[in-house]
Amino acid sequence: MLELHFFGRLGDLSGEIDTSIDYGDFLSTPSAIVDWIALEHPALAKELLQPQVLVAVNRVVVDWNKAVVDGDEVAFLPPVTGG
Amino acid sequence: MKTSVSIQCADFDLGEEYQRLRKLTLSVGAIVTFTGLVRDIESIAGAAGGRSLKALFLQHYPKMTERLLSEIIEQAQSRWSITGISVIHRVGRLLPNDQIVFVGVAAEHRDNAFSAAEFIMDYLKTRATLWKKAEWSDEAQWLGIKQSDLDAASRWDSDD
Repeated sequence: MLELHFFGRLGDLSGEIDTSIDYGDFLSTPSAIVDWIALEHPALAKELLQPQVLVAVNRVVVDWNKAVVDGDEVAFLPPVTGG
Repeated sequence: MKTSVSIQCADFDLGEEYQRLRKLTLSVGAIVTFTGLVRDIESIAGAAGGRSLKALFLQHYPKMTERLLSEIIEQAQSRWSITGISVIHRVGRLLPNDQIVFVGVAAEHRDNAFSAAEFIMDYLKTRATLWKKAEWSDEAQWLGIKQSDLDAASRWDSDD
């Protein structure tokens, strides 16, 4: 199982996505997860590919080709605007 | 060195936070506090803007935000001699003029306290996993990062 999180404006676009998905080899990196999302939700995938968007695995920002394993939590982070 | 980080819906009391920093040790000689408020961004534009801010919705990534803020505090500690740091960030739906963020730094000397407080706010705004959605009278919109905030944070990078 993978847990997906979409924050900020990405959350508004991911309304229909099931955020708890069965793990499979085709979901082995954040990039692969975006490719999978693009099949059903191209508008969301396009936003995820924006250069300012960061990805975190288990709450640590990682490279888009970082290995994702069963049980991981993957979060897509648009530019932050706190303070 | 005493530090505290809190992400909370509840409001905070500036006086209580100040007293907590003040009572840390007798070596504290300076306390700098910063409080950020929800501001009606377009109210200054007046008639030209035409719309007003109804509320600001603050979202964050639980546990990651706290960890990132702790890392920012650690960096401040390694740069300046500091006795105590307290950071509070509110989340949820806030109204114009509500308190949104608090940074308090206690140190032996004021220069360290001023610098650390500025550094923490600049890094918080550009690195902590918090997002603002503005509810205007006519629409709701996630806010984008401001170049001035990126510039403010980058001046500390060059000191590394």
